[in-house]
Amino acid sequence: MTTLAPRTLRTRRVLLGAGAAFAALTLAACGGNVAGGADAAGADFPTGPVTITVGQDAGGSTDLIARAVADGMAEDLGVSVPVVNRAGANGALATEEVAAKPADGHELILLNASLITITPLAVSDDEAVSLDDLEVLAGLSQDDYVLLASADSGFETFDDLKQASGDVTYGTTGVGTGSQLAQAVLFAQAEVEGTAVPFDSGSPALTAVVGDQVQVATVQLGEAKSQIDAGNVVPLLAFSAERNQFLPDVPTAVEEGYDVPVSQYRAVAAPKGLPEDVRTRLVESIDAAIATETYRSFNENNLLTPHEISGEEVTAEWTELAEKYQALTDEYDISLAEG
Amino acid sequence: MESLQNVLAGFAVVLEPTNLLYCLVGVVIGMLIGVLPGLGPAATIAILLPLTYGVEPVTAIIMLAGIFYGAQYGGTITSVLLRLPGEASSVVTVLDGHALARQGRAGTALGVAAVGSFVGGTVAIIGLTFLAPLVAGFALDFGPPEYTALALLGILLVSTIASGARVKALIAAAIGLLLATIGRDAFTGAERFTFDNLSMADGIDFVPVAMGLFGLGEILYNLEERHRAVHAPGKIANVWPSRKDLKESSGAVTRGSVLGFFLGILPGGGATIASMAAYAAEKKRAKDPSRFGKGAIEGVAGPETANNAAATSSFIPLLTLGIPANATMALMFGALLIQGITPGPQLVTEHPELFWGVVNSMYIGNVLLLIMSIPLVGVFVRILRVRAAILAPVTALITMIGAYTINNSVFDVLLVVVFGAVGYLMKKFGFEPGPLVLAFVLGSLLESSLRRSLLMFDGSAAGFFTRPISATLLVVFVVVAVLPLVRSVRERRAAQNPAQDRSAQDRSAQDRSAQNREEESV
Repeated sequence: MTTLAPRTLRTRRVLLGAGAAFAALTLAACGGNVAGGADAAGADFPTGPVTITVGQDAGGSTDLIARAVADGMAEDLGVSVPVVNRAGANGALATEEVAAKPADGHELILLNASLITITPLAVSDDEAVSLDDLEVLAGLSQDDYVLLASADSGFETFDDLKQASGDVTYGTTGVGTGSQLAQAVLFAQAEVEGTAVPFDSGSPALTAVVGDQVQVATVQLGEAKSQIDAGNVVPLLAFSAERNQFLPDVPTAVEEGYDVPVSQYRAVAAPKGLPEDVRTRLVESIDAAIATETYRSFNENNLLTPHEISGEEVTAEWTELAEKYQALTDEYDISLAEG
Repeated sequence: MESLQNVLAGFAVVLEPTNLLYCLVGVVIGMLIGVLPGLGPAATIAILLPLTYGVEPVTAIIMLAGIFYGAQYGGTITSVLLRLPGEASSVVTVLDGHALARQGRAGTALGVAAVGSFVGGTVAIIGLTFLAPLVAGFALDFGPPEYTALALLGILLVSTIASGARVKALIAAAIGLLLATIGRDAFTGAERFTFDNLSMADGIDFVPVAMGLFGLGEILYNLEERHRAVHAPGKIANVWPSRKDLKESSGAVTRGSVLGFFLGILPGGGATIASMAAYAAEKKRAKDPSRFGKGAIEGVAGPETANNAAATSSFIPLLTLGIPANATMALMFGALLIQGITPGPQLVTEHPELFWGVVNSMYIGNVLLLIMSIPLVGVFVRILRVRAAILAPVTALITMIGAYTINNSVFDVLLVVVFGAVGYLMKKFGFEPGPLVLAFVLGSLLESSLRRSLLMFDGSAAGFFTRPISATLLVVFVVVAVLPLVRSVRERRAAQNPAQDRSAQDRSAQDRSAQNREEESV
């Protein structure tokens, strides 16, 4: 019931916008070139709803982030910003669809960094997604991975795990995920022998480590926090570059001397070739959305660390990460496609 | 104490007006489609799935569950009055129920069935209340090896106990297993049978397959079947069962409750098998078995109690382990996934409000059904007069829209059409879609759990037998798989030596009936 009021407001704004657009059209048709001042930057935008496509199912963390941003953007743009879930192929399906849409700013996509930086290491070239057809608008946040040990394994620190080298089984959240890459590289660097057991996503991997089906597993912090707090699993390492604000006592892999900074980053992107004024307007509305108190507390509640950087920075960072991961897997002769 | 709080909180969830309303809507729909022959609960849930997208998960499942157990009540009505079972689970009720109706005791049969259904349902809910958290307590011991064994057993039971021809069921299950291999290999990233189509990279989605096979397939098949006009029945007098009737059927109701409860929990079990087993059990126990088929009240009370108990208890494996026991539960599984909830060992602890809300809604649903089914029998019978020409296009349209809205995908709509055609052809040629759908769901579980287990065991299959739960399940698997073979070999041998002496024949007959009993208890 609470959403009813803003929605009607939004509808009214849409109607107003449509009316204005109609008036402008009429004027243009009459041959009067009235508009056209320099102050018209993005004035014609948006002319309708701005859709954010999510390549994951509704209810997951990517979807929740998209919805949180969409709420703020709708407020700022004055049009509705629906979130459409188009799950499939890790998000490759959605990305390909949006990249092929007209670059008028009405079609956006919420990207997961792993799709660009890690998944291509595991899947065929047809399925690999690159940033070439997209224009990244803004980076949003970072979701950290933690290495967890089951309570029954007796591991308290990463050193305990190293002692057990040889018969370690470790759970991953699937092929071509940050969880798989982070552990494969870490264990290679620390010379720990182990067998990867891939699960379908974070939740079954977590259940497996809680039930001691695997001794360790790496999942995203947001999913694992309640089990960590309940003492059912022991966090050994975080894979973030710096200590995670929500786990201040857990060392990072980088601190321990291993070169494996792996986090999940999210960003908003549009099809390539966006008009400059539209781009400016969109970035403006994203900035407005992430500045709201609601969005800030959303991040806090979901244990997301803000990583709010510009589109250019995102492109540079993700390209660099992709190269780094490629180099790391080459160096340690790791193949993500072999389970 | 915490669990008691959760149970009470569950009642609070049910008593929210929206949930009560959806519970009522669910049981009324269930009752209606129970009356309509052909349209079963699986098909109805497949068709109505889209209606649940917008509501809370607990509300959605409360309604869908209501449809399932409501159908068990409704199915009886046409069995008794028209000799036309509304549901597969009411087929055996026809034998004695209709015989009673011809003796002018239709009211008695319906009344006893309603009371029996109520008792069976309630007993099963109480069982569910106490047993499910217990099973869920073991849930963390269920690792990949246990799931492997359970999935294997489930597929075997589904394809061998299912109603209809065994060979056809096995063929359908095999096709389901093959379909489950489509999509990216979750262990190596290799693509299998995707034809470079990104829409198939994750495999075929379960919901459109079920919507096609059950929803569209049933609709098409019914259009063909409905040409045989149904005559609306005459008036029914005296629905309230007499004290004598109740006394006569109390034993059957008790046995039906217990039998139904346990048969419902088993993978591959469910309402239909429970009702058949209960009928067989009543007939075997009776002092005068010849009364059966001529209007024995136990022949109505036993199966009708058992099918309702089984419908309820089949929620246990789904809500505690994430394993659907039958086709309808597979659809519930899909409904939960759409809501962003993966049914599994953590469901009871992570979503107690959902678990207890759904369980407790069944108490209320059963009371509602009891109230409705006794005085309102006549009203529901009139539903049979709705023309298929109106019903079929409307339901087909809802199915299509529903398929599209799950994932905003036209590909899924095409899948529904393809599987609708497959489902129609399967029914026409006597194949049940149930084993296909369940093998499809359990197939990916089987594959990934097996490969995961082998990784855990360093490639050695011996590991399956060192873990108590998986070893037990595998032994049961072998027993179930081998028993029918042994029996058929013996029968063939007996047929080859017709000159055997009488005592040997007697012995083999005894063996056979012992085996029968064993199989029923499976």
